Amino acid sequence: MTNLDKPSEMSSPKFNNKLILSFTAVALIGFLDALYLSVSHYTGHISCSVVSGCQEVLVSQYSEIFAIPLAILGALYYLFIIVNSLIYIDSQNKWSKLILSYLPIFGFLFSLYLVYLMFFVINALCQYCLLSASTSTILFILSLILIKKNKYVPRV
Amino acid sequence: MNKQNRIWFWSISIIVITVLSIIIINAANPNTNGSTVVTDQEWSKGNPDALVTLIEYSDFQCPACASYYPMINKLADEMGDDVLVIYRNYPLSSIHPQAELAARAAEAAGQQNAFWAMHDKLFANQKAWSGQDNAKDLFISYANELGLDVEKFKSDIDNKAIKDAVKEDQRSGNQALVEGTPTLFLNGQKINNPRSYDKLRQAIRDELSKIQQ
Repeated sequence: MTNLDKPSEMSSPKFNNKLILSFTAVALIGFLDALYLSVSHYTGHISCSVVSGCQEVLVSQYSEIFAIPLAILGALYYLFIIVNSLIYIDSQNKWSKLILSYLPIFGFLFSLYLVYLMFFVINALCQYCLLSASTSTILFILSLILIKKNKYVPRV
Repeated sequence: MNKQNRIWFWSISIIVITVLSIIIINAANPNTNGSTVVTDQEWSKGNPDALVTLIEYSDFQCPACASYYPMINKLADEMGDDVLVIYRNYPLSSIHPQAELAARAAEAAGQQNAFWAMHDKLFANQKAWSGQDNAKDLFISYANELGLDVEKFKSDIDNKAIKDAVKEDQRSGNQALVEGTPTLFLNGQKINNPRSYDKLRQAIRDELSKIQQ
C-alpha cells in the first residue's frame, strides 16, 4: 500500500542491518567459545561431555603459533568481527563492510586447516573446536551473502 | 543514529560482551577451592593435628587402589604422628559395577566403628567379590567376620544417609577434578601417584620439611 512512499534504496540498508546483526550474533558465539578454549588452554583442564579428545587437541603442538594459543587468536578474530559489525551498524563505515565481506574467507580457510589437523593429524576431536569451525563457516556464508548483496567492488 | 542512541548502542554492546565474557571465564575456570578441605565427617587415620594431610580418592573395586592400600596403611602406621590420612569414596560405577555398593558397605561398617577394618577386608578380598552377583552377600559375611551387628549392617548399607555420604565424597572428588582412582592430594595439592612406598614417604617428608622451614 505504502510501497510507493518508500524510497527503493531504503530496503537495502534495512536488509543489511539484519545481515550485519547476524554477523554480530554468530561472531559472539564464536568469541565466547574461543574465550572458553583460551582459558582452558591455560588451566589445562577441559570437561568434554559429547566427544572425547579436547585435552589432546588443546595441548597438542598445533594448539599454538609462535607461543600464542590459537584459541586466543580465534577469540581476537571473532572480537574483531563483532566490533566491525557494530561499527557498521553505527556508522555504515565502508572499511568495516570490507572487513566483514572478506575477512571471514580467511577465517574459514584457516579453520578448514584446523579441522584437517583434528581429523587427520591429531586424531582427536573437541566439540568446542568444532563449534568454532561451524561459526567461522557461517560467517563465511554470511560474508558471501554480503558480497552478493553489494555487487559493486567497493572503492577504497 | 543520533548521539544519545549511539552512546546507548555502544554502552549496551560493551556491557553485554563483558558480562558474557566473565560468565564464560568463570565457567572455564573450575573452582576447586574447598573440595580438599577436611571436615569432621571423614574416615581418617593418623594424627588429626598433623601438619600434612593426605587425601585419597579411591574405589574399592579398582585394582590399582587395591595395590595402593598396603602402602597407605603402612604410611599411617609408620608416620601416623606426622600425617593424617583420609579416605574418600570415588566409585567409578561405569567400569566397576560393585564399587558403589562396596563403598556403602564400608560406610555401613563405619556406623559400627569398623570403617577401616571393612576397608582392609574389601581390598584384601577384591578379587573374590569383584564381578560377583552375590557381592552383597559376601559383604554381609565380611561384616559377620568382623563381629558387626549384621542386621544393622544390612539396613545401613541401603540407608539413604549412607548412599548420600558416598555421593557427597564423589561430588567433592568431581569438584577437585579427580579423573581416576587412586588420586592423592597432599595438603590440597594433587600429586602424581608415587610408584613405591619409599617415594610416597619421601613426598610426605618433603612436604613436612617445606612447611617446617
